[in-house]
Order: sequence, then C-alpha cells, then structure tokens
Amino acid sequence: MITHISRRGFSAAAIAIALTAATPVLAQEWPTGPLHVYVGFPAGSSPDTIARMIAEPLAEALGQPVVIENKPGAGGVIGVQQMLAQSDGHSFGVTINGPLTTAQRMIADIGYDAVTDIAPVSLIATTPLVLAVSSDFAADDAASFIEDAKARPGEISYGSVGQGSGAHLTAELFASEAGIELFHIPFQSYAEVTTSILGGEIDSGFMAPSAALPHVEAGKMKMLGVTSAEPFPQVPDVPVLAGQAGLPDNFRAELWDAFIAPAGTDPAIIERLNTEITAILGDKEIQEKLLAIGWKAEGGAPDLLAQRIVEDTELWGAVIDKTEAAAE
Amino acid sequence: MQRDYHDILWGGFLSLLGLAVAVYSATHYDIGNLRRMGPGFFPVSLGAVLALLGVVIAIPALWRAGETRSFAGRELLGIIVALLLFALLMNRVGIVVTAAAVSFVASAVAPRPGIVWRLVLAAVIAGLTWAVFIEALEMAIPVWPWSR
Amino acid sequence: MTTLEGLAHGFTVALQPEVLIYSLFGALLGTFVGVLPGIGAMAAITLLLPLTYYISSEAALVMLAGVYYGAQYGGAVASILLRLPGTPQSVVTALDGYPMAQQGRGGVALFTAMISSFAGSMLGIVVLVVLAGWLSAVATEFGAADYAAMMIMGLVAASTIGSKHPAKSFAMVVLGLILGCVGTDVNSGAQRLTFGRTELIDGINLVALAMGLFGVAEVISNIRRADRHGPPDRVTLRQLIPTRQDLRRMVAPVLRGTGLGGMLGALPGTGSTISSFLSYAMEQRIARQPERFGKGAIEGVAGPEAANNSAAITAFVPTLTLGIPGDPIMALMLGALIIHGIQPGPLMLEARPDMFWGLVVSFGIGNLFLLILNLPLIGIWVSMLRIPFRWLYPAIIVFICLGVYSVRGSVFDIAMVAGIGAVGYALSLAAFSPALLLLGFVLGPLIETNLRRAMLISRGDPMIFLERPIACGFIMAAVALILFPMVKSVFRGRRPGALPPDPRGIWTKKKGRR
Repeated sequence: MITHISRRGFSAAAIAIALTAATPVLAQEWPTGPLHVYVGFPAGSSPDTIARMIAEPLAEALGQPVVIENKPGAGGVIGVQQMLAQSDGHSFGVTINGPLTTAQRMIADIGYDAVTDIAPVSLIATTPLVLAVSSDFAADDAASFIEDAKARPGEISYGSVGQGSGAHLTAELFASEAGIELFHIPFQSYAEVTTSILGGEIDSGFMAPSAALPHVEAGKMKMLGVTSAEPFPQVPDVPVLAGQAGLPDNFRAELWDAFIAPAGTDPAIIERLNTEITAILGDKEIQEKLLAIGWKAEGGAPDLLAQRIVEDTELWGAVIDKTEAAAE
Repeated sequence: MQRDYHDILWGGFLSLLGLAVAVYSATHYDIGNLRRMGPGFFPVSLGAVLALLGVVIAIPALWRAGETRSFAGRELLGIIVALLLFALLMNRVGIVVTAAAVSFVASAVAPRPGIVWRLVLAAVIAGLTWAVFIEALEMAIPVWPWSR
Repeated sequence: MTTLEGLAHGFTVALQPEVLIYSLFGALLGTFVGVLPGIGAMAAITLLLPLTYYISSEAALVMLAGVYYGAQYGGAVASILLRLPGTPQSVVTALDGYPMAQQGRGGVALFTAMISSFAGSMLGIVVLVVLAGWLSAVATEFGAADYAAMMIMGLVAASTIGSKHPAKSFAMVVLGLILGCVGTDVNSGAQRLTFGRTELIDGINLVALAMGLFGVAEVISNIRRADRHGPPDRVTLRQLIPTRQDLRRMVAPVLRGTGLGGMLGALPGTGSTISSFLSYAMEQRIARQPERFGKGAIEGVAGPEAANNSAAITAFVPTLTLGIPGDPIMALMLGALIIHGIQPGPLMLEARPDMFWGLVVSFGIGNLFLLILNLPLIGIWVSMLRIPFRWLYPAIIVFICLGVYSVRGSVFDIAMVAGIGAVGYALSLAAFSPALLLLGFVLGPLIETNLRRAMLISRGDPMIFLERPIACGFIMAAVALILFPMVKSVFRGRRPGALPPDPRGIWTKKKGRR
C-alpha cells in the first residue's frame, strides 16, 4: 500500500530534489527535501507502526516531511532493496532483523550485503519471544518443560511462523542449548499458532508476548519463559530463560527493529539522524507507545547496531547450519 | 468439418505445461514423504494431474465440431502494448504522462479511427486520474516526470 | 451484562454524533474506492490509518468497519457493470451480475446486490449477537485437517461452476492451484517456481491475476463487439427496480447465503471467499433450471452477496474474541485497536463491552447508511454504461494499472497483468472458467499448508481426516457431491438437453438486444 503523511507542497520540494540530485548532498544543508523511509512491511504491521511513531517527531526535528514508503514483501527484503535502489541522499529504511541477518541464507539472489551495503543508523526497539503452552499442558516452568522433552524426544510439538522465521530459529536455538529435540510444525501467522495451541493441536510455540498475553489472562495459556536477557516490561512476571534448567547464562534471542541508511551516506548525516532518533526514543510517551505494541525502546550508537548485525548473523547462521544438517 | 481447435490447442498446451511443472519441480524441489511432505510434493502431483486433464480435454475435441470465435488479434496487441507501456513509463515519468500515453495507445485499436478524439480522451483520462488518485486519494506515487 | 443490555448500551455508543459521522464517512469512502478496480478496502484503510490515531477508538473502528463493507459493495458495482472484480468474492458476483448488466438489467443487478448485502449483513449481525460465544469456540475447534477437508469440499462443490465440460473445469482449478504454489513455501522456506525473481517470493499478486483474467480479457473481447451494439438505452426508474418475480427469487438464496456466510465467516481467513463460491454452487445445484446460471440468474447475485456480507460481519468474531485476524484487513483493524490500548481477546466482551456492542450496533447503522446512500447512486452507476465503450475502455485500462500498482508499487506486477490478460483472453475464447482458476489460486496455498500441517500433526497418518468428526463430515460431503450426480443420472436417465424456455428469459433477451 502506498500512503504518506503529507503531500501538499511537495512539487516545489520535488523540483528541489531534481536539481540537487546530481551533486553530492552536503551535510550542513541536509536535509534539502522530504525524507523517504522504506518499510518492507504493509501499513499497520508493527514495523510500519514503529516507523510512523518515529517519523512524526523526526519530521519536526529535521524540518522536512518524513514519508513512509511501504514496500512489503519477502520478509522485509523488498523494502531494503527499494531503499538501496534510490540514490538521492534522502532515502532510508526501517527494518526488522531478518533482512539484515538471516535473509541472505534464505533467499538466493538477495542483491545486497548487510555488512557492506548498509550503513547502520540506530537500533530502535527490541522484542523477545515467550515460550507459551496451553494451560492444559503439564509443565509449569521451563525446567519441567525441558525435563518432559528429554523424556520423550521429538514428541513435543511447537508451532512457528514458517521455516527460517524468528519463531522457528528461536525454538531451534532453545532446543539445541537445552539438549532436547522438539517437533516443528510451521504455520503462516502467530494467529494460527495461537489457535492451534488453544485447540490442543500443538503443544507449544515461541511467540510475541502481546500475542499470548490475552489468552494467558483468560486462563487458557501459560508463559514458561521469555527469551530476553532481562525480564520484559510487558510481561514482568515471566522469568527469563537464560540460566534456567541448564540453559547458558547468555541465552538471548530477540527480534529487533532498526533505522538504516544505504552505505556511503555521509557520516555527518548518520550522526545527525542517530542523535535525533536517540532523543526521540528517550521520550517517555514514545517508550510507552512502543511498549503497548510489545516493543522496548533501545536507541544507541550506530556501532552498536553494526555489532548487533554481525553477532546475530553469526548466531542464527549457526542455528540454520544445524537445522539444515539435521534435515539431511 | 470445423474441429474444436480451441480445445485441442488448450488441451495440448495445458498438458505440456503440467508436464513442465511436474518435471521442473521434481528435479528442483524435495518431494519428501507422507509425514513431512517437501516443497515438491504439491507441484509435482498437480503438474501430473494437469497433464492428464489436458489430454482428456484435447482427445475428444479431435472428433468434435467446434465453434469458431473471431480472434481479436489487433485489440489484444493494442491492450498488451498499452499495459507494458504503463510498466515501462510509470516509475520514469510519473502518473499523469503515463496515463495520457497509455490511453492514447490503448485507444488506437478502437473501431473508430482518428487522432483528435483520442488526444482529447487521453487528456481527459490523465486529468481524471490525477484528480482521483492524487488529489482525492492522496496516493504517494510519482506524479510528474521531475518528481522521481 | 446480558445481550439485551449490551445492545442497548451499544446504541448509546453508536449513536454518538462523532461515531455516526465517521461511520457515514467510512461507508462513503469505502464505496468510492471499492468501485475503482483493484483499490479495495485495504487501500482505503491504509489511507485512513494515520487519521485513526487522532480520533476516539470507537469512531476509528466504526469508520474502518464502514470502509470494509462499503468497499465490498463498491467492488460489486465494478464487477457487475464492467466485470472488474478486485476480490475473489466479487468474482462470484460478476458471474451472473455482468450478464445481467449486458442484458440491460444492470440496475436490477445492482439493486439485488445492494438489498442482498444489506439483508446478509443484518442477519449476520443477528447471528453474531446470538452465537458470538459459540462461533469463537468453533474457530478454535477447527484444526488443520478440518480446514483442509473443508476447502477440498469447497473446491469440489464449486468446480461445477461455469463450464459444460468437467475436465475443463477441473483443469482450471488445478491450474489455479499450481499458480498458487508460486512463491515461498511456508513449510520449507523453499522458493518455488519463482525463477529467481524477488517479486515472486510472496507469490503472484492476487489483484494482478483477477484484473488480468477478468478486466483485461473482457476489454479485449469487447472493443469490437461493444461498438457494434452501441450503448444501451437510457434507463428508466422502472428498470432499476426488480419485479415481484425477481424479489421472490431472491428471498431463499439470501437466507441460505446468510446462513452459509454467517457460519463460515467465523473461520479466520477463508470464510468469506468459500461461502460466496459455495452459495453460488448451491443455488445452481438446487435451481430448477441450472442452465440460467452464468447467463444472468438473479439468484447467482443474491445468494453470494448475502453470503459474503454476513461472513464479513461474523469475521469480526475471531478478531475481537480471540485476537485472531482472519485477513489483512482484519489485521489492520486489530492494529488500530491495539494502538488505542485495547487488546482484543477472550476477555474483550467483559473488559470492553462498550467497544464490542458499540461496534455491533454500528455495523447495523453503517449498513443502513450504505443502503440509503447507494440506492440513489444506482442510476448514476448504470448511466456510466451509456458512455461509448471506446471512451470507457482506455480509462479502464489505466485504472486497472493503477489498482495493481497501488498494491505494492511494483511495475513487475503490471507486466504480469499484461501476460495474464493475454492468457485470460485466450482462455475465454475456449470457454474456460477464469473464476475457477482464481478459486484454485486463492484456496491452493491454504489447502496445501493445512494438508501438510495435518499430516505433520498426525505424524504421517492419513486417518486423521476420518477420525476428526469435522474433517470426516466435509470429506463425506465432498464424496457425496461427486457421487450424487452419477447416481441421479443412473436413476433418471440423462436430463434432456434443452428445457422449456423460461418466459422471463425470453423477455430479458428481447429487452437486452434492442
């Protein structure tokens, strides 16, 4: 879907872009026109909602409109590709971790390299997954779940949102760290996984806390643990999995959302954007809005995001290697 | 006797298509087993079924009289060219010019010849498109050649 | 809170001036964008999303709901008058609505669609109020095997639509299923039949497929024909209003359609499409003269329209009571709720009764608005057909392109429309049914994933389809649908090829060909 926040008065700005496109954009006069932020997910999805939350205060801070361009497809990869296809110094992206970490393993001709073609700007927010089971399931905590799984290897099933999805890889990471074997059943959406757990078709699933929460409150589901390093504010009572029942202390599996730029963007522009975004994320109101949709505001220097990309590419790459080896 | 050429041709084509899908999928994707079906399971079976159905359609048609329907080749060509023109122009010159060019090309295959009415029509459609999609619906799409 | 108290409370919420105005606005905008080919509720809702941040949550949701059913009606207008269906549901409406329009009965077809939608929605609301709790239980009871069995039954039932040759019908369904395979396979992550194109990773664009098969193919075959016939005469008010016989013919299909839609709508994802195809197949099967279908049978418009509208109402059940959206539009609305701090789920009815009942009542009011707004518009829509086709079709082509382009801004999809349009025209020459291709395309991925999932869950034991009562019921129904015609023909001998002509049919023919 194509929409944008404000269009009036664009024509003049558009001419300005056309005139300046040929010359390299200089940081001191930047931004000379509206910013285009490419989001690889449809309007109303959580990456889109987050991008829109940031876009408004960012437009105020920069004095130029910030236009959200939804280019959904291929798990967010299309959005990154579209951002890279522009070369006007005013095109950026908001993306989740997938297109920057695991996508290269999943899609053959992805057309970019997450390390050399992307200039990280800032981490925006993170969200963990929770291990959820039906309230009828015997285990009440992660330790007894793992014990149960050891007693009957390969019998406890879990749902994910597809091969190679965050939910699938998280479950495989969990299983390999805990030394257990779970039975994978792929679904198309968290909604389907939830219904299937409620209907007793499958036993468990790693899912977004906000997807499980209403059913937990209704007494139909239990959350056995959360994959973040620290308890997650949206579900403060759910214990972290790290360090439990033989899981390593540094066990952590989070989805994240970040602001990126094409490689070669003037470092001063990256610096400027990073400063503004960090300030926006420091706002209490934004933090609460993010938490309401299940995300924790993060922020931080560009290097932090760069490091995160490298770390997660390695972490999930190892998990993919293992599942591929197991499949053969 | 006028044979049912439509069914003969389509039956044959569907058969070949089905065969191609089945063979391509069988060589490229894992078929798996009944418990964990691979990505190839469905395309291979569907391709085989389509190949069979194609034969079932084509064979009886060989001995059956069929209707002849006039083939609107000129119209087909005109419309396809117009559509491809849209694909070619849209991201380069924006919607207003594209809409005018596409309507002008599409109207070339209309039964009535002439340039003037087609130019007028192209202008009207371009204006209408601009009013509906840009002014009323505020779609974020390139409008003019200079607005990227 | 009892149901009655809830409803009364709902009226106080829905009758707030702000809520009323946004409901009206939503219905209006929905109709308007629905008429534009390919630009459906999704585009309009996306457009309005930023606005919803600033208005009250009731008004926001009511407005989005208004867009949702307004667009459904608008889509019916485009498919009846110009054969430009943007959704699988309006494909069914086009099957008989478009022939009606060609016979000069476009006004009646629109009126039928309007009244049937209204009746379907209103009765759907009754179903929603009475059965909300039960329907949400059904939604969780349905397992993978049940979904797969239901959709297979739906395909079998619908494959009688549109063609005299069963092999040709099945071939279209199978071709649709194959096209549905294109893209990422959920279960393995493999990219199937994409030939390395990133644009195809999420599959073929549904709007591109529908526009190519129907709109473009129709334009190509109509350019010469339409000009020979010239524009239809000026429509009088009398021709807009269905005759008594028309009305009599509508009642039963509307009731049956509502029942089907109301039940199936609660199943996330598939209800609306399946119920409109099933309703059509059912009407054709029980009709005394099934030959009339596809040539302008009013039952073929009334039943499916009632079905998809009542399904659209009950589709809110899983969204609101389970927090499980059935389609992308529901997902958007769910998002709008969550932004306003309302978490739909099993506790929604207790935690936010104002929201739940207010929404229910506003559905009714919104549909009433839609009826009042659109009855006078019918005349205007129909008079659009008086524009000479050579002026109309270049505009249709441009609008089709824009509709497809608006989905994700991809020119690749436009090139697809060109290819699909050429194939669609060739298919129409050989009297293949594009509606079945589309049905196969829509249901294919759902059947495949559910079938494979069912086999995973049963650890490879196909008996799961007979052991689960729901699945078993659908499989039996599918088998019965295949066997019944055979048994019937054995007992009765072959049906006579030509039936005594329908007096009404003669009348319409004369009128239509003037």
